[in-house]
Amino acid sequence: MNVPIIDPLQGDFPEIIEDFLQHGNMKCIAFNCHGTLLAAGCSDGSCIIWDFETRGISRRLRDSATISPITSVCWSKHGHRLLVSATDKSLTLWDVKKCEKIARITLQHTALHARLDPGPVEPTICLACPLSSAPLLVDMSDGSSSVLPVSVSQEGNNYIVAPIPRKFSDGSTPFTPTAATFDRSGELICVGNSKGEILIVGIKTSKVYGIIPVPGGAVIKDIVFCRTGQYVLTNSNDRVIRLFENLLPHNNVINELEIIDSLNNNTNNNVEEYDIVEKLKTTGTKCIKYLREFQDVVTKIQWKTPCFSGDGEWILGASASKGEHKLYIWERLGHLVKILEGPKEAIIDVVWHPERPIVVSVSVTGTAYVWAKDYVENWSAFAPDFKELEENEEYIEREDEFDLNPREDEKEKEEVVDEDAEVDIENIEEASIITISNGLHEELRYLPAVPSPDLSEQQDKYPASPSRLEESNNSASPFDNDVVTNGHASSPMEVAENSLAEEDGGASSKRKRKPSAKGMEMQAEKDKRPATKNQKSSSVSKTSKPRTKYDIDSDQDDEFTDGFVF
Amino acid sequence: MGDATAGAGAGAAPPYRPYRLLRTVTAHSRAVSCVKFSPPDGRLLASASLDKTIAVLCSSTLATLATLRGHSEGISDIAFSSDASYLASASDDATVRLWVLKNLPNSNPNSNSNSSDEIGDRCVRTLRGHTSYVFCVNFNAQSNLLVSGSFDCTIRMWDVVTGRSVRCIKAHDAPVTALHFVRDASMIVSASHDGSCKVWDAATGSCLKALIEPGKGPAVSFAKFSPNGKFVLVATFDDTLRLCNLANGKSLKVYTGHVNRVYCITSTFSVTNGKYIVSGSEDKCVYIWDLQGKNVLQKLEGHNDTVISVSCHPTQNKIASAGLDNDRTIKIWVQDA
Repeated sequence: MNVPIIDPLQGDFPEIIEDFLQHGNMKCIAFNCHGTLLAAGCSDGSCIIWDFETRGISRRLRDSATISPITSVCWSKHGHRLLVSATDKSLTLWDVKKCEKIARITLQHTALHARLDPGPVEPTICLACPLSSAPLLVDMSDGSSSVLPVSVSQEGNNYIVAPIPRKFSDGSTPFTPTAATFDRSGELICVGNSKGEILIVGIKTSKVYGIIPVPGGAVIKDIVFCRTGQYVLTNSNDRVIRLFENLLPHNNVINELEIIDSLNNNTNNNVEEYDIVEKLKTTGTKCIKYLREFQDVVTKIQWKTPCFSGDGEWILGASASKGEHKLYIWERLGHLVKILEGPKEAIIDVVWHPERPIVVSVSVTGTAYVWAKDYVENWSAFAPDFKELEENEEYIEREDEFDLNPREDEKEKEEVVDEDAEVDIENIEEASIITISNGLHEELRYLPAVPSPDLSEQQDKYPASPSRLEESNNSASPFDNDVVTNGHASSPMEVAENSLAEEDGGASSKRKRKPSAKGMEMQAEKDKRPATKNQKSSSVSKTSKPRTKYDIDSDQDDEFTDGFVF
Repeated sequence: MGDATAGAGAGAAPPYRPYRLLRTVTAHSRAVSCVKFSPPDGRLLASASLDKTIAVLCSSTLATLATLRGHSEGISDIAFSSDASYLASASDDATVRLWVLKNLPNSNPNSNSNSSDEIGDRCVRTLRGHTSYVFCVNFNAQSNLLVSGSFDCTIRMWDVVTGRSVRCIKAHDAPVTALHFVRDASMIVSASHDGSCKVWDAATGSCLKALIEPGKGPAVSFAKFSPNGKFVLVATFDDTLRLCNLANGKSLKVYTGHVNRVYCITSTFSVTNGKYIVSGSEDKCVYIWDLQGKNVLQKLEGHNDTVISVSCHPTQNKIASAGLDNDRTIKIWVQDA
């Protein structure tokens, strides 16, 4: 419904830092399926859910058992559940709406990344990728876990499950992160191993269906699907991000793979040596196809957390260099379009909003920066009769421009509006946006907003000015837009199960905004108030009288103290 | 009693069934400025008044369930959150107050007077920021944002949870008279005394469109989105109500017959049984027009002063109307079954 008015270049990329979110020391972030809520894991073991529309804190998930830093957060597909992994080797599954912990499991190793199964509405299976061993499939309901195969070798027809320790020529650490992720359907997992291969593994059977060797053969650090599931990115140790296309269908993926498998079996019938690896590689070519690579040829920086934009048109890579906050944005077709530079703090995590051209990056200081498009005032909205020009255009007038008699057909230019046409005020046509869900399940997009009660926090800074109410404390400065108390004893009543009243007092939730001109004027107004009170109140009663909703009797003005600001 | 005027003009559609007066409630000691049924089921009816109070009534028995006191000046507008657990009120004391409506007593018919049963203050938050009368207020669909318009010509967006002013838009050159969120809360329409009606992007605060340009016509007293967000109902001080197409700004239907020159009278869509436009008027009547045919279907008489506000029940064929100082009553009209 808002498609006709809003600029069609919505699928663009961000340009500047628009805002920042600060609360505690955030370590990792994730948007929910529509980008209305942002979950952030902090270094104290709690998880904060930000309402992204108001940029305020909506909920705080805190478990007394977990006090160590969070390593990753992951939403379930429809936003009902949240999986949190922490450095104390635990995995916690939360029910977001009720803010209750569903399950908590302790693993053998700390999971660097933990992902929830994107298939079901209320998933219990999740994928945990520890730092130095093979990824695990964990069932949160009973705590059982199974290790996923990481590589296939030729001895017999066995899969070797343990990771291959790889020693670099410069003798650096043997710890190799193994990357793994679910595909869109939740039936497959793509595992990137240290030999530079992508393995396609079925979830139910842990069977390897295909192998795709990544050009370059370097250790794969990250593997990421886009939201539509059509493209895959890998981030390798050779400082290159590679793009692949996913050729598998969205549904019934396993069936498709089994078909390909049996086809391969048939063709290999007469071959004596039954080479599993070759067969898997053949299958692999039918699953994922290499498209192109992205890198910074000049500075050859290592990348961290590559991700897609919501519609898959743009690819973002964060620079892993400490001391700089750089985000590189490429078109999917290959060209570098933008380098975003932030304050000189290393990047820990980056996410792209699922629907809008907004990127949120977390720096090592624990602050999340919100990058958005530079806001350009749409002047033509104020004057629709005028056409906005990019540059001066020479105007060539028509032959009859200055004729005294208007042209005949100009009168008919006014579109005849059929006043008797049926007008439909109720039916809604859903605009087609890229939706991940099939619309059958109810999604958790918003959490009910529970207003936290007023606190008496600000002191009265202008004792000279007449008070508005019986007792009132005026706001301290126009910079802070904090809410002040009204002097009444406000009892919280049944207001907030998760009241953040205790945090409002501290300055931890700081919001930096340009002080509005309005705020400055307000400040000036307060100082001027006593002098201009009488003059203003008379203008209120006389000139405004015919325009107000109800009668303002003159005796009411005595209590009215604010002046107009026009 | 209302009298049905000539033919609804719908041959195929069922004939228009007239509304009749069901009850009259006097819940205030001064002019009533706004009356609203609660979404989603219309269980509550709230009314705001110049006497600085808000009365919350049970809409079926019309017993007063609560009287919300706290404002120091008269109240111009109220709005329910989408699940009716909170109520916001806009007042002349330049504040917006947020009230909690949980645990209201069940409607035992106490009386229709202002006897309050309050233990403790129901006001949860006071939102300060405006510098002049706050005239209109509205929640968005997910009720995490409040938008308020004021005589200081600005529109402010507030975060419901913290009470912080998220955005302040210098919207117009004259007092903002009406504000409304579209169904999916992506846009806000604002009307103003400078004669303009503008549509704003809720996420960025930028002006998307000027439906009516400032200065070109009479002051716009009210604007509201249609339920599907494609049209805007605009009321102007020349006794006219227009239904405008949002995409191109053209006025598709014009409704006349009522009087609207001085007060900012609310109008609304009635969709529970047949599609109508309902509005108050300065000639003390409530007008009902056929949406498509634009003819006046009925004039509901009974108030003794300008009918300043009307509200349609979300599920039943019920209309509530409120009158100014000479009247001070809320009247409930129903359609005979």
